[in-house]
Amino acid sequence: MTYRRYELLKDLAPIMVDKALIVSNIGFPSQEVYDIQDSPKNFYMLGSMGLSSSIGLGLAQSLVNEDDPQTVISIDGDGSVLMNLGTLSTIGNYGPKNYILLLVDNGAYGSTGDQPTHTSGRTDLAGMARAAGIESVHVTHNEGTKAVLEQCMQTDGPHVIVAKVAPGSPKLKPIPMDPGYIRDRFKLAIK
Amino acid sequence: MNNISQDLLKELKGNGADYFTSVPCKLLGDLINLLAEDQSILYTPVAREEEGLGLCAGAYLAGKTPVIVMQNTGIGTIITSLFSLGLFYNLPITMIVSHRGTPGEKIGTQVPMSNATMPLLDTVGIPYFAYSDPGDVKNVGRLVQHAQVAQRPVAALLDFDFWGKA
Ligand SMILES: [Mg+2]
Repeated sequence: MTYRRYELLKDLAPIMVDKALIVSNIGFPSQEVYDIQDSPKNFYMLGSMGLSSSIGLGLAQSLVNEDDPQTVISIDGDGSVLMNLGTLSTIGNYGPKNYILLLVDNGAYGSTGDQPTHTSGRTDLAGMARAAGIESVHVTHNEGTKAVLEQCMQTDGPHVIVAKVAPGSPKLKPIPMDPGYIRDRFKLAIK
Repeated sequence: MNNISQDLLKELKGNGADYFTSVPCKLLGDLINLLAEDQSILYTPVAREEEGLGLCAGAYLAGKTPVIVMQNTGIGTIITSLFSLGLFYNLPITMIVSHRGTPGEKIGTQVPMSNATMPLLDTVGIPYFAYSDPGDVKNVGRLVQHAQVAQRPVAALLDFDFWGKA
């Protein structure tokens, strides 16, 4: 079966939700994570398109020196990473071992009506991540992503997983949570 | 190395700052060199200011006290994220901003953004405080505390006179 992001996230939820700190991308990705499995360890980034990877990076850096540091997974998208390409070079040089960028690449700006992004054309984000200095870069499809994520959670990163999926999303409602509540719940869950 | 950068870093750290990110400016050169050498803090240079704001947000969520060091021209690129991240989630982030285009400036292109910097911060709703005297360095450091009280990003605008480079 060809996964969309929703089927992918549903497949991954049992191994990542509540087990890692998750920063999820603006729009449908956050709604889908919330719909599949809400957790205090999920930070729903409701604005600031492009910054999911950066927020997760700051988190992971701040936690990495603790004993048995928590893994941080930034769930990001192709359109969003293209909007903040410098992030790949920052991860390549300053990404800590407990950091995973799960880049869900559906070749489309999904939250705005599936307009094509450049990854549906000639652009290869995995290649760009490698060229930016990241060593552990994986391209995955459909049910293949789960084992790779599991592996990345058990080994030192930074890791980038470019999970190729089809565009399209189920119809979901906006997350019924105040940003201050998302923030405080997440802060408390980290401790 | 001028002493104002050493004094400023000491004051920022003395007020609790322990996570720093930066985008370069000539006025910030000494401070950025100090950040890169300082083993007592976390420091990450970034490619663009928005990225730095994202890092600061993550650091704050993890319990750190973050500072972004940047030029005022970066206010232009960071505005959307100041709204939808910094203010929306009430994130205390101290912004140490070199104010280019102020007297002492030698590059004309810096002037239009210089004039717009304060009105832009007013529009966004970011508290800012402008300093022209190196003797104000303690007041700049105190903004780290003020950001915690204000529960939002707070900016210091530091011109050529503050840096002793007029
Ligand atoms: Mg997409």
